[in-house]
Amino acid sequence: MSWLRRRKFQRAGATHVRLQSVIEPTRTDGYAAIRDYAAIGDGRTVALVARDGSIDWLCLPDLDSASVFGALLDADHGGRFALAPEVPHEASRRYLPGTNVLETTFTTAAGAVRVTDAMTLPASGFAPYRELVRRVEGVAGCVPLAWQVEPRLQYGSSPARVSSRGGVATVADGRDALAVFSWDAGEATVSDGSVGARFEASEGTVGHLVVSAAHQEPLVYPNRAEVEARLHATAATWRDWSTGREYDGPWRDAVLRSALVLKLLVFAPSGAIAAAPTTSLPEQIGGERNWDYRYSWPRDAAFTLRALLSLGCSSEAHAFFAWLLHASQLTHPKVQVLYRLNGRPEATERSLALAGYRGSRPVRVGNGAAGQTQLDVYGEVLDAAAEFARFAGTLDRDHAKRLAGIADFVCEIWRERDAGIWETRSEPTHFTQSKMMCFVALDRACALAGQGLLRGDVDRWSRERERIREFVETRCYAEHKRSYTRSADDDALDAALLLGVIARYDDPNSPRLRDTVDAVRRELGRGPLLRRYLDDDGLAGEDGAFVACSFWLVEAYARQGRLDEAAELMDELVALANDVGLYAEEIDAKTSDFLGNFPQGLSHLALINAAGAIAEARR
Amino acid sequence: MIWGAIVGGFVGTLVLTTVLRAASEFGWTRMDIPFLIGTAITADRVRAKAVGYALHFVFGLLFALVYYTIFAVLDESGVLLGALFGLVHALFASTALVNVLLPVVHPRMGTGFDAAGSAPLLEPPGFLLLNYGRQTPLATVIAHIFYGAIVGGFVAWAG
Repeated sequence: MSWLRRRKFQRAGATHVRLQSVIEPTRTDGYAAIRDYAAIGDGRTVALVARDGSIDWLCLPDLDSASVFGALLDADHGGRFALAPEVPHEASRRYLPGTNVLETTFTTAAGAVRVTDAMTLPASGFAPYRELVRRVEGVAGCVPLAWQVEPRLQYGSSPARVSSRGGVATVADGRDALAVFSWDAGEATVSDGSVGARFEASEGTVGHLVVSAAHQEPLVYPNRAEVEARLHATAATWRDWSTGREYDGPWRDAVLRSALVLKLLVFAPSGAIAAAPTTSLPEQIGGERNWDYRYSWPRDAAFTLRALLSLGCSSEAHAFFAWLLHASQLTHPKVQVLYRLNGRPEATERSLALAGYRGSRPVRVGNGAAGQTQLDVYGEVLDAAAEFARFAGTLDRDHAKRLAGIADFVCEIWRERDAGIWETRSEPTHFTQSKMMCFVALDRACALAGQGLLRGDVDRWSRERERIREFVETRCYAEHKRSYTRSADDDALDAALLLGVIARYDDPNSPRLRDTVDAVRRELGRGPLLRRYLDDDGLAGEDGAFVACSFWLVEAYARQGRLDEAAELMDELVALANDVGLYAEEIDAKTSDFLGNFPQGLSHLALINAAGAIAEARR
Repeated sequence: MIWGAIVGGFVGTLVLTTVLRAASEFGWTRMDIPFLIGTAITADRVRAKAVGYALHFVFGLLFALVYYTIFAVLDESGVLLGALFGLVHALFASTALVNVLLPVVHPRMGTGFDAAGSAPLLEPPGFLLLNYGRQTPLATVIAHIFYGAIVGGFVAWAG
């Protein structure tokens, strides 16, 4: 149950009145709702913290490594770091302003306690390889709390157990080790599979709980004063980064939160951006639509660059573009659908012996989509290059040569059938959006050549571009629906067609694109949300409404000058975020439950670009 | 002959480092000698690795000179004798040098006398360096046998 409540805290003679969203944490079969999670991270990995204080997801040392806390995917055997009052309580949460540091306030009949969670950032001094810090501060009264760390290395498959080594609770397996430290948080007891304690937090007291992780090196035992200093430095670093963001348009809070989510998903060692920090959160509860999103998709390249550049994240944009061309070098001229965060192309898919989120199996790691043909990727990559060239004013000669090679490759393969942007596992077909993006690829190649940034057979690019246009206009448009269609010689619709407007396949106000936008909303709209498509996709069950598509609709409206419609829809969509401003991949249109991996980079990218498009149109 | 020890010490350290790094990549051990040495000098991780590698090679050369001295006293050298020295060296390193002596002189490594709140500490290696992984003693022995054999071989060859 959720409600707004005016709450008063008496403290040291002063009365603080705060308006808070206070919610009693609940679970279903041991699983928190996806909407109930918040994300913290350090640019290398991400942890998910449930509203009830349990950290149910953390992969170490990196975002795409095996999980140490995996209760998100197996409530009984996945492992977690629980921390909560031992008496009935309500919880309210927020991120410290401008940061990825989470603050949860538990309120009980006996008092209140504030928990600050962060993955600390490396600062000066000797810090652990990875460090998770939980600071527990008594705010009012006296609150009895309990904490328990149940590490389960290697997605719970490692037999390693917690042992006390010189008074330090430690678990180790091969290359990885983890130690748990506590200060003023009770007398820790180590049992076979966990370490934990009970304690009371009185007003004014501060306790610390720390997980120090090592990978291919000895564990670093943190010092309490430095832990506190690192926590403050971490918040300050995030705040500094936020202050540097240049966006001053509408929905600023939502845009800034989305930027901070993107920054969490940037894998700092390489510059790659993960689609999401989780695997196998289901698109349908109990279903098989469970995928590993801890990879970087070149398909998102143009969205990403546009979002990063609009926010003034030039160093991140540089790094991502360089990573993109470096990673795709291994498969040149083919651009693979996805790459690992370190740029390697392998993504072999396998299933884990985990119960799955609320029984949603299989739990997959790796992603079989890596081997698919998706023609739209080429349009995104060349559109991203054009975006980058517009910003940088130039293109590296080596990059330009490779981009020209990609354009040549598009001329050869655009006639092929593909799996499409949604990575369907049914038979390949001629997806309209794929063809549109092939057109965009050659269009941008011609434009870059016109600017003297690309050398190649421009006549061929131009000729093939017009052939693609002819294919789309004659075979991918249904007069009786007054809309482009999902695929050639079909009459079904697809929300991806909105990308025709966004990627400037044609003038956004061309009659056909304008009608298509209306048709997509009419047929696929569920309130403010959009389904991706209604067709069979080779998988059992049905997914929810795709958040990014809904924001694409906003952007399409904005690019067509329909600003009232855009702003109204934007308001509705921004209200659908969870209490700390995060989105999953999908939302159940009936219940507003989140579905799919979380938090989803594409959803937040689409939000940033939609808000930016409205701001630009208003200017 | 002494040049054989110096060259052998350099090549031997190169091989020893490579073997231990490979063992780390295979998940056999978390031991990282340059990291252990470097963090005795600086808390900066990147600088620690650089300093640690440099010092590790210096120590490798110094140990080669110790081997050379013993070879000279025995008036005998060779791959097998060097390998035997390497085995003894590994046992000494894992039971006394790294396990006992290093924590005493290392400002950031824990000993039984430290409380975790006093200063940032490194996980101590434990007997036979087992805290860094169950295969650590094996990896250490193999790496040092290679080292000793190479030093012994070079000394005999130069000799």
